[in-house]
Amino acid sequence: MSDKYILGISAFYHDAAAVILRNGEIVAAAQEERFTRKKHDPRFPVNAINYCLEEAYIEPDEIDAVAFYDNPMLTWDRIVRSCALSGEGSLPTFTSAFHSVLGIKAWVKDHVVKAIGNSGKLGKIVFSGHHMSHSASCYYPSPYEDAAILTLDGVGEWSTTTIAHGNGSDINVLKEINYPHSLGLLYSAFTYYCGFKINSGEYKLMGLAPYGRPVHVDKIYENLIDVKADGSYRMNQDYFGFLEGSHSINQKFCDLFEGDARKPESRITQREMDLAASIQVVTEEVMMKIARTAKQLTGSKHLCMAGGVALNCVANGKLLREKIFDSIWIQPAAGDAGGALGAAYVACHQLMKEPRVALSGSRDRQKGSYLGPGYSDTEINAFLQRNSYPAHHFADPSKRAEKLASLLAEGKIAGFLSGRMEFGPRSLGARSIIGDARNKEMQSNMNLKIKFRESFRPFAPAVLAGDESLYFELDHDSPYMLLVAPVKEEILLRTDGAEQMPEDMISIINRERSLIPAVTHVDNSARIQTVHKDTNPGFYDVIEAFKKQTGSSVLVNTSFNVRGEPIVCSPADAYKCFMRTNMDVLVLEGYILIKEEQPNYTEHENWQEEFQLD
Amino acid sequence: MNRTQYEYHPQVGYKFIPGLKSRVQHEGGGYFVKTNNAGFRSDQDFHSHKKIAKRILVFGDSFTAGDGVSNKYRYTDLLQESLDGTELYNFGLPGSGTDQQLLLYREYARQFEHDLLVISVMVENIRRVNAHYRYYLDAEGDVKVWQKPYFRISNGSLQLCNTPVYPTPINLSDLEESEKEKVDTGGRFEPVRKLAKKLGLKDLLQKIVRFQPVPEYDSAKNSEWLLMKKILQTWIEESEVPVLLVPIPMFHHVEGTASAKSYQARFSELSESCMIHDPLPDLLKYDLPTRRSFRFGKDVHPTVKGHEALAASILPAIRTLL
Repeated sequence: MSDKYILGISAFYHDAAAVILRNGEIVAAAQEERFTRKKHDPRFPVNAINYCLEEAYIEPDEIDAVAFYDNPMLTWDRIVRSCALSGEGSLPTFTSAFHSVLGIKAWVKDHVVKAIGNSGKLGKIVFSGHHMSHSASCYYPSPYEDAAILTLDGVGEWSTTTIAHGNGSDINVLKEINYPHSLGLLYSAFTYYCGFKINSGEYKLMGLAPYGRPVHVDKIYENLIDVKADGSYRMNQDYFGFLEGSHSINQKFCDLFEGDARKPESRITQREMDLAASIQVVTEEVMMKIARTAKQLTGSKHLCMAGGVALNCVANGKLLREKIFDSIWIQPAAGDAGGALGAAYVACHQLMKEPRVALSGSRDRQKGSYLGPGYSDTEINAFLQRNSYPAHHFADPSKRAEKLASLLAEGKIAGFLSGRMEFGPRSLGARSIIGDARNKEMQSNMNLKIKFRESFRPFAPAVLAGDESLYFELDHDSPYMLLVAPVKEEILLRTDGAEQMPEDMISIINRERSLIPAVTHVDNSARIQTVHKDTNPGFYDVIEAFKKQTGSSVLVNTSFNVRGEPIVCSPADAYKCFMRTNMDVLVLEGYILIKEEQPNYTEHENWQEEFQLD
Repeated sequence: MNRTQYEYHPQVGYKFIPGLKSRVQHEGGGYFVKTNNAGFRSDQDFHSHKKIAKRILVFGDSFTAGDGVSNKYRYTDLLQESLDGTELYNFGLPGSGTDQQLLLYREYARQFEHDLLVISVMVENIRRVNAHYRYYLDAEGDVKVWQKPYFRISNGSLQLCNTPVYPTPINLSDLEESEKEKVDTGGRFEPVRKLAKKLGLKDLLQKIVRFQPVPEYDSAKNSEWLLMKKILQTWIEESEVPVLLVPIPMFHHVEGTASAKSYQARFSELSESCMIHDPLPDLLKYDLPTRRSFRFGKDVHPTVKGHEALAASILPAIRTLL
């Protein structure tokens, strides 16, 4: 019997992506931004599709079905009805949506044919519901045969929140909350109000929350969102601008919090910190309630989550510690990019009735999310030679690991390109910048000399799987860096009484809080990645070698990019980022490059103007 | 995103990266460039000794390597399918001149047991043979050039120059004025070609002006032709097996907007030393819309149909030599 291939696509809103399944197994997945170098690129993912076909090594006419992650007609229905309800004020929204939905989204098949020549054997596109795509993206690759499924995002077609039940190859939606009531949009409204970009700056708001006090929680509940005991909620539209225009908030919202929105890149004050802390608390409380309802409705022991809100790893960590479910699995590409995977799974298991792939001893079916392009040493050698970039080759991976570990132990910061690129917004040791977590200057060095960004944001620890409980209050794998947990009391350093939040955050940020200060956030928490030998042996070997040399099995792991730039994909992207920043070392598979040995690097344009902040 | 496909080679200038599996986005929907362990576009590894009865080695540029189509749709792969008990090794290298192909033959191919050597000369390659550099626009938009090896005739023999080839791009401005004339920019009247292409008037203009794209073939005494002829003669002499020379016409010739007489006359000068098969008469038997479908809309490389037509034309010639 011939193999069955399904191509999944998400596009036109934000973070376009493509995925390909072979007989229900993920062969490749990638976000378009990695190829076009435009962050959150929403355009039709021609490059990602091309890559998926490359990895699967099939011609377009061998694709059995092409699936799209939402239904443009349902989205159109929502827009028309919402605008009709809002009256004249919503005309700009309607006009913009008219072009966006009917002008582009409705012609998905034409885009596919233009990109790859045909639309596969089925000859038509399978449209999956937006939240069904999210549900499928977290349930089907999870290790569970029975699980509650929770999806939370801004909006997709009509839904904003759904509870579903996954059993075997079936997913049944049990409950949903519809637009304009949306926990995701509420969080985004605060993101915007605090001066960050909607749909990409939410994680900054989450990082800011521990600096603040949740003083506005009551105000939020009293004025903005009415939450019932079962977690269902309604938002007071008097404070929001979703229906009338492009802004998420209106003057009444600003009046409620006694001031205008913070201007992007202006100084962050205690006000924004308190707002961040407050909306974080509300988000967590609503999520707990919804999770309890999901547990009641499904009776399942396990929970799967997706949708942009599922990237709130602080809330995820609390959900885990609440022990509502025995275990939780979160889709690492929880946003719209993951919708491409979900759509492919819907076509595979619900339309074509293919059985799910057996787990065969793996932790899940996501393969560590290392689903993007990889590069051979031969390709990298060709790149280095063509540009006369000096490098040291290590044919033996263990020798490379030893050399890199010794450089890291000296305090060097390394760009690390090894293996297939990650699918999803997190760098998981395939396209990462790494350093010694014990080094108390590491956080500020990485922030200011490499990332060129606001310094309040914490870095994540990558810890050898099995060693996590030595450093963190965590007894659960976290391979996708989606769980936050407290740093162990034993390795915390004593601080002199309660910390006052000064107007200048830097003194607070740079305070040494633990034996791994570079990854210990202001509230003594950490966003943890457990590194597993079976899914990323290259990165595992480096940390293991570092442990042998230093006794520490934790490294700082941050995304291999500068502020506003998509994570690097190719060796050329990595080299460019390496030379633009103050990184000391670059690893390109078996090659190690040292900054001092590189030729002068010049560019015509000021690259710092190339990328915009989230 | 397309992967880097080439690696530096000190004698030839560059060649495909071995073990590559790359999909190239293209107006035809995209195609695979899969290379074997020796770094040639092939689904199979090359072996010194034959495992089946007959083996043919084929050389050429992107028309032979198969730019625009996956390996299995190329005329060489279609020929292999039609020839029972025969395998074809495709040594095509995009962007190369016949001079570089001769160097590839010496460096890699000669060692392979074979029964027939096919040299497919895209007739435009005469310019590449006479070039010392190839034009290149880097990521920053700077005009640079790649050095290439080239031959010159010295005391009646070929003398190889520019080797080892410089591995990295050179600024065009760094070249001496006399060398700047030796940069291959891809054809004559580059600004006019670019403008016509941008305006979508390329085909119409060609039809009206009947531009002769390769005047280098107009005279038997043309120095460019004499160099090309010498390279081909040398290669034919070095070969220990019969040689089939296949001049691949440009689209101007296939679509009847330029005369092929000059190049046909020049290649026929070599008819005593090898067999020449000119596929143009066969291609001209198709009606014009069909001939137009032999190339892509914008890209002039052969479509799958174009490769099928080439294979159908060359097959009888190969059969007579095996």
